[in-house]
Amino acid sequence: MTEQYAKAQDYKPTEAMVIYGARMLKEFNGKTGIIGIGAPLLATHLAKILYAPDMKMIVETGQADANPIEVPLSIMDSRLTYGSSWQMGDPEGLFPLMRGEIDFGFIGGAQIDKYGSLNSTFIGTDYNKPTKRLAGTAGAVDIGGFSKATIITMAHQKRRILEKVDYLTTPGWMVKKWPEGKMVRREEIGLPGGPIAFISSMGIMRFDAKTKIMYVEKCFQGVTPEAIKENTGFDIDISRATEADPLLLEELKVLREQCDPLNIYRTR
Amino acid sequence: MKKSKVVSLKEAMQEIQDGDCIVMGGVVEDRRPIAATLEMIRQGKKNLIILGECSLSEDMLVGAGCVAAYRGTYTAIGAFGISPCTKRAAEAGRIVIDDIGHTDVCLGAMAAMAGAPFIASRTTFGTDVLNPAYDNVAKIRALVRNKEMIPEKKYILMEDPFYGRGTVQLHPAMKSDVLICHVQYAGEEGTVRIDGSLVFDHFAAHGAEKVIITAEQVVPEEYLRRDPNRNQIPCTTVDMVVDVPWGGHPGQVLNFYDMDIPFLMDYVGKAKTEAGFQEWAESWVHGPKGHDDYLNKLGASRLEKLRAIPPFGYRPRPKGGTGS
Repeated sequence: MTEQYAKAQDYKPTEAMVIYGARMLKEFNGKTGIIGIGAPLLATHLAKILYAPDMKMIVETGQADANPIEVPLSIMDSRLTYGSSWQMGDPEGLFPLMRGEIDFGFIGGAQIDKYGSLNSTFIGTDYNKPTKRLAGTAGAVDIGGFSKATIITMAHQKRRILEKVDYLTTPGWMVKKWPEGKMVRREEIGLPGGPIAFISSMGIMRFDAKTKIMYVEKCFQGVTPEAIKENTGFDIDISRATEADPLLLEELKVLREQCDPLNIYRTR
Repeated sequence: MKKSKVVSLKEAMQEIQDGDCIVMGGVVEDRRPIAATLEMIRQGKKNLIILGECSLSEDMLVGAGCVAAYRGTYTAIGAFGISPCTKRAAEAGRIVIDDIGHTDVCLGAMAAMAGAPFIASRTTFGTDVLNPAYDNVAKIRALVRNKEMIPEKKYILMEDPFYGRGTVQLHPAMKSDVLICHVQYAGEEGTVRIDGSLVFDHFAAHGAEKVIITAEQVVPEEYLRRDPNRNQIPCTTVDMVVDVPWGGHPGQVLNFYDMDIPFLMDYVGKAKTEAGFQEWAESWVHGPKGHDDYLNKLGASRLEKLRAIPPFGYRPRPKGGTGS
């Protein structure tokens, strides 16, 4: 049966990231999630075909139980409308978060800190003259704050995985309590949920039950724990790392041929 | 005979004053008032304050030097990357930005719709949206023409006095001088029918002093009134209606056309530099005398390839291949 497994040279790291993301959604079959545009949407598309056919997807532009046939390019892509149960607007798409009805959120970002907080607003030290302006808050604030669980996915690069993010857009486990901006546990300011996993292009990171600090749980095939440590911007715990189950050829086939045949998301 | 609200695109855009707070309907590249945007650039609008998002339409205004400040939730164009002109302006410190959350925008619009001064929630707790160091509301208020449109404070924290559930944030209502909204159908008296996401246009219309609708099709008012439940913005809140077929190109308009990917790639590529944006604007904004000229330049065959088909409302992609 070994032929059903893909070898590391058969795929790109981003493809692995999307496929492990899709696998994580198995546990959310039958649940309701809000999905961000980009890699999360592609992974969700794959998961709905292979692992979570009964997952319900809500989109922040107001589609309830969206079932796109083709992978959408933007958050209000016409592809999200056809086949939905309900098509309203952004308020109707986002307010279920505040009502506590969203089982999971699935999002990306540009920087992540060791407590799973994300930055998608700007890079640099001067807000009024940033080194690099990013996409802004979009749904990242609300999805990370109020889903019952959050899954995060983005490429693994040393400059992106940090002790501290330049701007805290999406609340992780340690967040800022205003007006002072003191770092506190998220539950202290009444935020539900929190990040349960960070799936990068090298492995799967989880958050320690007690300290809530990120550690390496799984390394993708052909990636060593040391390589992850080397590519992480803080001293990450790799003592619990094991190797992830290899990818299946079937998963790659569905991703390439059904989900994104035109390679719109540049995963390969 | 009731008075028709149908005017030309030029006349409608002349209603927008320098320094106005504007909201543009749709989101990202979807159902955006692009033809209206290009006309605003031709008319040389200045010091506009953009509310909601700074995506495709707004980014063109930023590139053309029409924008002083932006307050909202999104500065990218979906899979096409960070809004290129906005990125350049932000990094050069040439635009005042005040980031708020997506739900914040909806709640602000909802308060304005309800005629309420503010609304309470906890949506941005724990984040830098509440960081006083990044609060640019006072700077934006100093720039705006009509001070009633921008609040004196970004937010206030207080204890929930009703249910005792801890601290809550009070968000000020988000009003605007003008909503410019592109839709599928409008009647000559202003009744609007939108297909696909309403974004928050159905809220923003009621918080705007003036509502300008550009429509793919201006249809008999009577036709839309046969099924009022299917209409989302009433004639009572709309001031002007403009007949602008393909008015959302190069973005998508559900049931009418799909996105023009090569056009969008060309825009985001060129707009990465000031000179590149000027070159793009020369071709597509200043070169054509108006929207008809713009469409003639695109050509019928190019547009025909974008046409949406039923039952999907978009144009299915060819399977396989290496591009689109």
